[in-house]
Amino acid sequence: MTDGVGTEAPARGVDKAGIVIAALLAAVALVLVYDANQIPATTMYGMGPQVMPVVIAIGLGILALANLIDALRGNLPPRESSDPFAVLLILVGLALLIGIIGFGGGFILATTALFVTTSAAFGRRAFVMDLVIGAVLTTLIYVAFDRLLTLSLPAGPLERLL
Amino acid sequence: MDTFAALAHGMAIAAQPMNLLYALIGVFLGTAVGVLPGIGPALTVALLLPVTYKLDPGGSLIMFAGIYYGGMYGGSTTAILINTPGESASMATALEGNKMAKAGRGGPALATSAIGSFVAGTIATIGLAFLSPYLVDIAVRFGPEDYFALMCVAFITVSATFGDSPIRGLTSLFIGLTLGLVGIDKLTGQARLAFGVPELLDGVEVTTLAVGLFAVGEALYVASRRHHTEEKIEAIKGSLWMTREDWKRSWKPWLRGTMFGFPIGALPAGGAEIPTFLSYSTERRLTKYPDEFGKGAIEGVAGPEAANNASAAGTLVPLLTLGLPTSATAAMMLAGFQQYGLNPGPLLFAERPDLVWGLIASLFIANTMLLVLNLPLIGLWVRLLKIPTPWLYAGILVFATMGTIAAKPSVVELSMLAGFGVLGFLMRRFDFPIAPVVVGLILGPIAESQLRRALAISLGDPMTLLQSPISATLLVVALIALLAPFVLKGLGRFKANED
Amino acid sequence: MNSFRKRLFGAAIVLTSLAGAPAIAQQLELKVMAPAAPGGGWDQTARAMQQAFVASGVARSVQVTNVAGAGGTVGIAQFVNGAKGDGNQLMVNGFVMVGALAMNKSPVTLEQVTPIARLTEEIQVIVVPANSPIKTAQDLATALKADIAKVTFAGGSAGGVDHVMAALFAGAVGADAKKVNYIPFSGGGESLAAILGGKVTAGISGLSEYDGQIKSGKLRAIGVSSEKRIPGVDIPTFKEQGIDLVLANWRSVVAAPGITPEQKKTLSEAVEKMVKSDAWKEILKQKGWDDAYLPGDAFAEFLKKENVRVTDVLKSVGLVKS
Repeated sequence: MTDGVGTEAPARGVDKAGIVIAALLAAVALVLVYDANQIPATTMYGMGPQVMPVVIAIGLGILALANLIDALRGNLPPRESSDPFAVLLILVGLALLIGIIGFGGGFILATTALFVTTSAAFGRRAFVMDLVIGAVLTTLIYVAFDRLLTLSLPAGPLERLL
Repeated sequence: MDTFAALAHGMAIAAQPMNLLYALIGVFLGTAVGVLPGIGPALTVALLLPVTYKLDPGGSLIMFAGIYYGGMYGGSTTAILINTPGESASMATALEGNKMAKAGRGGPALATSAIGSFVAGTIATIGLAFLSPYLVDIAVRFGPEDYFALMCVAFITVSATFGDSPIRGLTSLFIGLTLGLVGIDKLTGQARLAFGVPELLDGVEVTTLAVGLFAVGEALYVASRRHHTEEKIEAIKGSLWMTREDWKRSWKPWLRGTMFGFPIGALPAGGAEIPTFLSYSTERRLTKYPDEFGKGAIEGVAGPEAANNASAAGTLVPLLTLGLPTSATAAMMLAGFQQYGLNPGPLLFAERPDLVWGLIASLFIANTMLLVLNLPLIGLWVRLLKIPTPWLYAGILVFATMGTIAAKPSVVELSMLAGFGVLGFLMRRFDFPIAPVVVGLILGPIAESQLRRALAISLGDPMTLLQSPISATLLVVALIALLAPFVLKGLGRFKANED
Repeated sequence: MNSFRKRLFGAAIVLTSLAGAPAIAQQLELKVMAPAAPGGGWDQTARAMQQAFVASGVARSVQVTNVAGAGGTVGIAQFVNGAKGDGNQLMVNGFVMVGALAMNKSPVTLEQVTPIARLTEEIQVIVVPANSPIKTAQDLATALKADIAKVTFAGGSAGGVDHVMAALFAGAVGADAKKVNYIPFSGGGESLAAILGGKVTAGISGLSEYDGQIKSGKLRAIGVSSEKRIPGVDIPTFKEQGIDLVLANWRSVVAAPGITPEQKKTLSEAVEKMVKSDAWKEILKQKGWDDAYLPGDAFAEFLKKENVRVTDVLKSVGLVKS
């Protein structure tokens, strides 16, 4: 137990994020126990399917406690500030990708959307240029893998034109 | 003596110029498809198998071997360059390999991986030729309880991937174990943690998790810190080629990796993941440069890569001698072999030695071609990292998602990929290690099923774990591995006091 | 949806077949779904059909799509919802899907699709290690009746054909099927190792999988599940040994729900032509599959019976709640 001697230790307060993490772990443990109880007991020799989830849930419970203690002591490593806008942009890109594929928009549209948003998240502002690059790249990928290798990639309106 | 004559004959056929060309084409195609994350060697072989149909049996077999090796190597390339392991077996490679690539040492990382694969592939193929009948006898003796004990050893050694804090490492591991529970229970067919979603019944795909955590998570994390630190990726720093120092630090890990990979690969339920992790942790323990681990130590690439390739050759032992396909890749190879009238099984070595030795010769040639093709390409690969950061990461995300889109184009699977990306981001932000999650997902379900099989056979008597000599030995090894660090630390203190 | 274009070799076959095969008036453009990942049995069947359809000139183009998941549960749901009334779509399925649908409580059932024909089947075998004291199926029956818990069976996934067979065998010899100690392994490799290593009493699998081991004398086959002796196979059937157990791992092809009788007729004729083609026979020989062609109403009847039988067995072993 090193009690902070010699470490830089800025403001050693309660770490809120750490408490949230501990709470999440505990919640997962509860879900595991709940789910294990739903499994119908079948005639089995040895160990049933509900044992392992309970064992893991106990482990998660202990870890939740350990993380909580860490958080209360402020024992977490220091964090740098982050840019929520960039993260959000990529997440929008992923959401677009899933949405476009889900609604049958096809591979090229979906991945181009992801390409453009990611590129923007990394600070590029040449939107049209990126759109062209993304479209060309993903079209090439589509042709190479769908047509030449018969890997089934989702087809939408653009793919049918090819 | 017959063995040598047969092998020489096979070599003579395989080394004809046309066949060499087929091997080269096979390696090229295999690498080109294998670099896609999520498309592992099994799918690569499945996709490219038809290409070989049109050739004569000899040429077709040799091209097939080339595709196989190319597909294996392709996965490692993405692991090193863009931190996106193509399949679970190259996950350990990504740990140090990508750190090397970011520090401008991508060239040596790729080189040690290619040469290590070659060395391991060659040694393991020799092992395949001469040791198969003996190995297979041992492999068959491995029962469920022994596999469970082997998993215990593996679990202890993965702590090497934990980083600084055991609590955080264990938390990551348990997240992985939880994910491993999702889906239909193998032994009773009951659904666990599927919440009525049919897509979840098959469980969490290792590649989806790995690509999400590594590639997507990394992109999110780097984007979030963009204003902060200019984390410059350097394409090339220093020599593109391995230095004398690199060679010196690589050759032992290659050999050790082979020693892990080949025998464990030969076990019917051994797989490629365990030997790569064992190799990684061993190198981490044995290294003279412990500070470099986690920052790009070449040993951490050389060992796992060799282990990966050696285990692939190892899976051919049960495949050829028993006709047992013990991995998805091996199952595809079986389909390929049958195409050439090669029916793997206990009678194969006795009935068709010509085909067996032809195959082994093909593996040798294809392995060599892999080196011939890929060493000159390293310069080109590394230059990929010179692409401006926005496009580089945009491209990585496109490639990372396309593997998942190709394998399972469902909204559920893609949402999982995105979810794991967010998880990977948060874990990086709050300083939890990533690798143990994937390790937990891979090892957890195997350990559970093997333990439950053992207990079902023994009708619930846990003593079965100690009654098998193999299992008892492995459990002792696990115990030693668990206690050794503490004992060594104690000894070190003792010595320090003496001085 | 997913466009699975002609494979390179597919294209080659089209070229060669255009020259040879007589042109048929109405050439079909078919889509065949394999409700599994590429490489498995259903996928191979779908691709074999693709090859034979095109080579025999029955269809102009055939696309194979893969929808993997939960023993076909995901695939059939998509097929029933997405292909309704489409007379150009087929789906491969088989024995395993019957059990998987019941176990996964699938809202979609096999009653919703239009049965076309059974295509192939594989006979099941029970093996014991060469040094086992069990020599015949009756020996195994005696052991089961003495202490059923101690007789361990190794085979494939829970609720699959091997598992069903273990339960049926126990039931047929008068033991309690509920108490069968069946141990599922992932893949034939692992279970074979467990049998060879003597970790389990007996193993159950498709005959071709253990053929090499049986011939080399490492495993002893104590019975096959066919109705009559298979020509060229020197293993007694269970029936011969006084145990009423007939079972085969079959694969079949079905069409979309809600198609017109004409569409059904067209598809049935196309499949019939495909099955009778030399290309199909060649593939069967190459892959070692047994022809078990059973078209039309006979197949529909068969499907219904298998459904009842499998669901009953799975209920009796507790995998399906009644």
